[in-house]
Amino acid sequence: MKFRTIRYFFKEAFANLLRNGWMSLASVGAVASALIIFGSFLMISINFDHVAKDVESQVEITAYLKDSVNQLEINQIEYQIKSITGVKEVTFISKEQALEEFKKQVGEELLEGIENPLPHSFRIKVESPQEVADVAYRIQGIAGVEEVKYGKGVVEKLFNITYWMRLLGLAIMAIFAVISVFIISNTIRITVFARRREINIMKYIGATDWFVRWPFLIEGMLLGFAGSLIAMTFLIIGYNYLYDTVKLNIPMISLLPIEEFYDYSLGLLAMGTFLGAFGSGFSIKRFLRV
Amino acid sequence: MLHMIEMVGVSKVYPGGCVALQDINVKIEKGEFVFLVGPTGAGKSTFIKLLFREELPTRGQIFFNGKNITRLRPNEVPYLRRRLGVVFQDFRLLPQKTVYENVAFAMEVVEASPRDIKKRVPRVIEMVGLSHKLNARPHELSGGEQQRVALARALVNNPDVIIADEPTGNLDPDTSWEIMKLLNEINKKGTTLIVATHAKELVDTMRKRVLQLENGRLVRDEERGVYRCEI
Repeated sequence: MKFRTIRYFFKEAFANLLRNGWMSLASVGAVASALIIFGSFLMISINFDHVAKDVESQVEITAYLKDSVNQLEINQIEYQIKSITGVKEVTFISKEQALEEFKKQVGEELLEGIENPLPHSFRIKVESPQEVADVAYRIQGIAGVEEVKYGKGVVEKLFNITYWMRLLGLAIMAIFAVISVFIISNTIRITVFARRREINIMKYIGATDWFVRWPFLIEGMLLGFAGSLIAMTFLIIGYNYLYDTVKLNIPMISLLPIEEFYDYSLGLLAMGTFLGAFGSGFSIKRFLRV
Repeated sequence: MLHMIEMVGVSKVYPGGCVALQDINVKIEKGEFVFLVGPTGAGKSTFIKLLFREELPTRGQIFFNGKNITRLRPNEVPYLRRRLGVVFQDFRLLPQKTVYENVAFAMEVVEASPRDIKKRVPRVIEMVGLSHKLNARPHELSGGEQQRVALARALVNNPDVIIADEPTGNLDPDTSWEIMKLLNEINKKGTTLIVATHAKELVDTMRKRVLQLENGRLVRDEERGVYRCEI
């Protein structure tokens, strides 16, 4: 392809954008609003995910040991727990440490003069939250372990909720992706339709399909790019505001930092551009068959 | 011998069973001027559509300069069309482009160099007598002038053949005459011309080769013919 041909394509694309000024604006608006809606759901979805992961990672197993165990047995138990696959971290909490912690919680005076009723224990973190129940079951089987606690039921419920949240987020995202494609290809179809005469003449003169197609593809990409740029600006400003508000008012929920959202918005930009090209390529296909 | 255009046993049946052309055998030589006549629905438009590969024949072969154009791959079709200039009854100019731009457009489409475009476009516009209207837009022109622009556009890439489908169909008799004279001049410079028309007086006066179609059949092929000979 010759350089001046490429220049011609861009010249045509820009000329067409200006010539159909209002139509172009409508397309950009459609792309922007579709992507804002899509991006909002993406934002919600990735934060669901983030919060879910955060909660999941806080789930740990506590294994209480029998009172009768001696130091040697404690070392053996620790070794056995560590050898279970999926175990990430094992911390030993002695009777004395447990009491200290308990004192901190309820107050020193209350426990004055009472013999330490607390057992030795291990706190275990696992690689992936889904393995909690399995690991807990196996620790239960180790000799010398009295009782294993991990918030049974609560953990399962939490996993259930995060699972459905993720699924819902994905479904909503998919729906809006389809809606965005539809709006874009439809708007560009209108501009292509308005110029079907021109396309027809070009084909009669002996233009190749790609020669006809390129200016429209570029036009579509520019529309998509402009639309997603607007959407991106809106989303980043909106997200910044949301992030600060949540941080100030609900400190226990930590949203995904804005920096990580930049990557997503770059993806959104690429997607808008691609959707624009895809939409116009899709729309022009019919008019090339001459 | 290599003919400019040769149709061998060409039939065209449209989906739905409408028979547009039946067993057409015709040869057109380089530099000929051929009128294609016949009533509406006789198959003139189909004949033309087959020539520049808008349609494919149902049966038979069509050769252009010895090359079988029914066997062209889709990506070869544009290169066939560059050797054919087409003129339509409704001119088909781009309304937002000037006369100059409309003609230059045909050269841009085939990726000619800007230098060639600058040199060639004014020459061709002069040839059709519109040098004084270079920057006018189609809606500022009369029908005859618009058809001249369309002719210039068809000519600008130096095609081997110019195909005109009812070029004077929308024009008054005087203007039609001027267009015909222009076509004749173009033909004298060596370009093969195929003109589908209803204009009886023009055909009778010009005395060129006449192909007459009737219900999809070629019923007459006559040198120096008239529109209709009474039998």
